Amino acid sequence: MAIIKVDQLKKAFDKQDVVKGLSFELTPGKCVALLGPNGAGKTTTLRMLSGLLKQTSGSVTFEGMKENGDIRAYIGYLPQYPVFHNWMTGKEFLVYVGQLAKLTKAEATSRADELLERVGISDAGNRRIGKYSGGMKQRLGIAQAMIHKPMLIMLDEPVSSLDPIGRREVLTLMEELKEQTTILFSTHILSDAEEVSDDLLLMSQGEIVESGSIQELREKHQTSKIHLAFRGEVDTYYEALKHLNSISESAMEKGEIQLLVDNIDQARVDILSLAAKENWPLTKFEISRVSLEELFMKVVKS
Amino acid sequence: MQWRTIFAKEMSEDWRNFKWVWVPLVFILIAIMDPITTYFLPKILDSVGGMPDGAVFEMPEVSPVDAIMMSLTELSMFGVLVTVVISMGVISGERKSGVAELVLVKPVGYFTYISSKWAGKLLLVLTSYIIGMLVSWYYVNILFGEITFSDFMSLLFFYGLWLVLVITITIFYNTLFKVPGVVGAVSIGTIIVMSILNQIFSHKLTWFPNSLSSHIGEMLTTGEISGDLWGTSVVIIILVIVLLVSSLFTFRGKEMAG
Amino acid sequence: MEELKELDLAVIAPFIIIQLVLMIVGLIAWFKTDETNGPKWMWLLIIVFGSMLGPILFFIVGRRQN
Repeated sequence: MAIIKVDQLKKAFDKQDVVKGLSFELTPGKCVALLGPNGAGKTTTLRMLSGLLKQTSGSVTFEGMKENGDIRAYIGYLPQYPVFHNWMTGKEFLVYVGQLAKLTKAEATSRADELLERVGISDAGNRRIGKYSGGMKQRLGIAQAMIHKPMLIMLDEPVSSLDPIGRREVLTLMEELKEQTTILFSTHILSDAEEVSDDLLLMSQGEIVESGSIQELREKHQTSKIHLAFRGEVDTYYEALKHLNSISESAMEKGEIQLLVDNIDQARVDILSLAAKENWPLTKFEISRVSLEELFMKVVKS
Repeated sequence: MQWRTIFAKEMSEDWRNFKWVWVPLVFILIAIMDPITTYFLPKILDSVGGMPDGAVFEMPEVSPVDAIMMSLTELSMFGVLVTVVISMGVISGERKSGVAELVLVKPVGYFTYISSKWAGKLLLVLTSYIIGMLVSWYYVNILFGEITFSDFMSLLFFYGLWLVLVITITIFYNTLFKVPGVVGAVSIGTIIVMSILNQIFSHKLTWFPNSLSSHIGEMLTTGEISGDLWGTSVVIIILVIVLLVSSLFTFRGKEMAG
Repeated sequence: MEELKELDLAVIAPFIIIQLVLMIVGLIAWFKTDETNGPKWMWLLIIVFGSMLGPILFFIVGRRQN
């Protein structure tokens, strides 16, 4: 069962395809990260899902949505740089957007109090938004996205503009929120995605290049890295190693050789037997797992 | 419900940034400035030593109708300017700053959004205009002579239509452009072009919106509401409706992001 | 002549009142504004010494609104 179905979603600006036919589904209760480098089309995608942009083609359907229903009733959205009416207090703003989301004034007021409490800015509820810090605004932004209990909340780069403390606060908050609602958030920072999300959608140049849970992705792109160091110049060894079948990528860095391998057992045998046969002055042989950051770079580049 | 929410937000915004205080005061000033200086001009001339000997300068007799029409002339300049300036950012400003993203991502109809803001500015400007004209009427009555209540009410009603048109033009451009300054400049530009057209073709286009003031002047002199005045009013009302509907379409065509 | 003087006062008084109110409200707004276009102290001078036009200018172009 999917909460939202995206089918062949496309967006072109001035005939340039920014989003090139995305299809994916989101399962209720999951926190999904839309991960990709800047310019991959993440913001454009979220804006189309939230109804702020019209897609060039393709469709977005919500579970249980009426024919021609207003998509905006089902979602909450936080833009990357949320701007509020600075003359209002945080609570006034929440009540305002709550009423715009068709709550009665009384409902909106009690919901506003509840959310201010939940995002941890109830003390500042009656202060003007103009006086809020970046982290407080981001939290108010999350509160306004949740005001009408949407089925899905979408957050565009929720932490990238924050300092380390604000970032930590918002990530913790998202951790709590994912118990209650489905979250789709975009980020270009893998560690943020890793920290709170269940699933990843890897996006690059307007396309989804990989998707799945973090565990699945890690297994699928299982690679290890071998670091080698030698006494003396490494160039000749490097030339010899490069051509081994078990090695998929190689690089020389700071007098060390780095090798990416898919089958670590085979590679170990190959390298060590070659080194023994040629009597190489090997001083270091180290195996490490490829970090997800490197995996991310690799997937995004390919 | 949502309409009232946005309308109420407009009201409290204009209250907190003091528009509800200064706009009425400015409209009073604009409305009374000319009648009062005209009244005092002979005295001012006297007090600075009068006319040089031998110079004969007859002050033209100013009738009550002339005096109250002075208020309209000033309103057509400065009143319109103030109206455009306070309305030029209602929608464009929210789009430029980005608040519109948070508002329009809620299930709000675009026409609700546009029309509630239109109505908010209408209430502010028309209230200020009525207060300004009441004060002007009071002065004209004590300084120049009587304008009857019913004449005054007709004037108030018909000229009010002109201000409604000015606001609607500004709102229309608000949905077209994203920078308040551009909205203001284009609105003023449009009104200037309209008044030039009116001057060139006034004898042919008797129902052109800008001829409203002169028809009001005739009405005050003759005491009769002419067919031309009704005609012009109808043209203005139709224009207002057309502009509002067009606003909806241009706004719908706009992408809210980017 | 006396009568005229009284009439004059009745005519002038509203101007003085309007100017005062504009100035006071302008000062309150000036005080509450965080950001102005141009130096803030300059606007204080304009509001206080700019006669009626000063506060009006401040309301229209002086404040950076959001």
